[in-house]
Amino acid sequence: MRGRLAQLSLFAVALLIGVLLVGQLRSQAPAIELSSLSAQELSTLVETLQLRNVELSDALADLREQIREYEREEALGQSTLDLSREDLERVLAFAGLAPVTGQGITLEVEGDFDATNVNDLIYELRSAGAEAVAVDDIRITARSVAVLGAEAIEIDGVPIGRYVEIRAIGSPRGLQSAMERPGGLLLQLQQAVGATFRITRETDITLPATERDLAPQAARPVE
Amino acid sequence: MSRRMPARRRLSRPQWAISIGVALAIIGFIGAAQWNSSLARQEFVTSAQRILVSQAEQAQRQQESLRAQIEEAEARVREFQERDEGSRSAQERLNEELAAARFAAGLTTVSGPGVVIEMADSLRPPTEGQNRSAYLILADDVRDVVTALWASGAEAIAISGGGAGAPPERLVPTTSIYGVGASILVNTAPLSPPFRIEAIGPEGLADRFLAHPSYLIRVSERIEAYGLQFAWEARDEVTLEQFVGNTRLRYGAPLVED
Repeated sequence: MRGRLAQLSLFAVALLIGVLLVGQLRSQAPAIELSSLSAQELSTLVETLQLRNVELSDALADLREQIREYEREEALGQSTLDLSREDLERVLAFAGLAPVTGQGITLEVEGDFDATNVNDLIYELRSAGAEAVAVDDIRITARSVAVLGAEAIEIDGVPIGRYVEIRAIGSPRGLQSAMERPGGLLLQLQQAVGATFRITRETDITLPATERDLAPQAARPVE
Repeated sequence: MSRRMPARRRLSRPQWAISIGVALAIIGFIGAAQWNSSLARQEFVTSAQRILVSQAEQAQRQQESLRAQIEEAEARVREFQERDEGSRSAQERLNEELAAARFAAGLTTVSGPGVVIEMADSLRPPTEGQNRSAYLILADDVRDVVTALWASGAEAIAISGGGAGAPPERLVPTTSIYGVGASILVNTAPLSPPFRIEAIGPEGLADRFLAHPSYLIRVSERIEAYGLQFAWEARDEVTLEQFVGNTRLRYGAPLVED
């Protein structure tokens, strides 16, 4: 009887230790420690999340409209191939496999920058809300990065020079103000490598499709 | 045989009393540690911050909900596309083109050989006069690793943060990676360390990645100087979930050539 009591006591204590340990480990690794951010950083985070949520809401509304169109066409007994073709054009444009046209900015940059600076510029434009980017006539895909080639910086195997013209589709005002913000990358490049830049808001620019083959060699789709 | 002691008698009273005593001491220690850590966190938060934290949490929850709804709606659209009753050959051709385009755009879950990289903040305490942020993984570190992976031939990459269970963020043409304080936003999802970067690519991806030190100069210098944690492993099979988010152009449109 006493032995059984000892076993039960040990079991209860071990269980309690387990529960406390899990609690402690979870509290050590929260998804994100928001309370460790300053008020300014939190404001930036809230603003960014809210802006992106508006974009996601718009995307969801578009998808629901697309579903309604499919339902209407099906109810009328008509083929939905045209709707699917529109979807294909949209996905191709998003991937960089089709040319796109719209509003945005042209950013002319000249200086002794390195490949990392060019990649940072592309990331800066994406952070500012660019929907599509081209450096000179090279359309930037997810896989496009600037690298140091044999004689010059290259993107997708195409060399670029000291002067590059970057075109980005997006809100002209939003892109310009984000790129010119105090302490931003352009001002840092101005100081670090003596880069000069000029931003022009555009109402109608066209970005080419990528010439890169994006067909997979190693990756395969999972059904 | 008869001299063998029954199992329940092996633990004599003083022994189990000591065991329980030690166990209770451990419980006390853990309980105190938990109490202290929650106190420290509460002390740090001002009332203005508390409101902002609440707003950020609410926006994050809204984002998760929107993404789940988008995923569901996209699956519904794909259902319609796959069961179209029009011309069978035209439909098949279109579906093949859609599948290839979705793959290139990162809108398909993929698997294949690859590499897994983990990065975490330094365990070293900051030396006097040093900025604490130098000991943290920064957005630049993650970007440089991603750049090196793409340059090494990666075909698909995803980043997750905050340990096991956090949904990975698939990298797509609009992906931004930038820092807000100690957290890093990837596709606008706030991630915290340890960061896990998974990539799929042709055989030898890990070797090519490590043979490209020029792309990793910034991060390797910081690993050396501040003790940032970095580990990698080549894998025969890596699976990367599809991107879930906005894929629609608001300020542009596909240029349809006549």
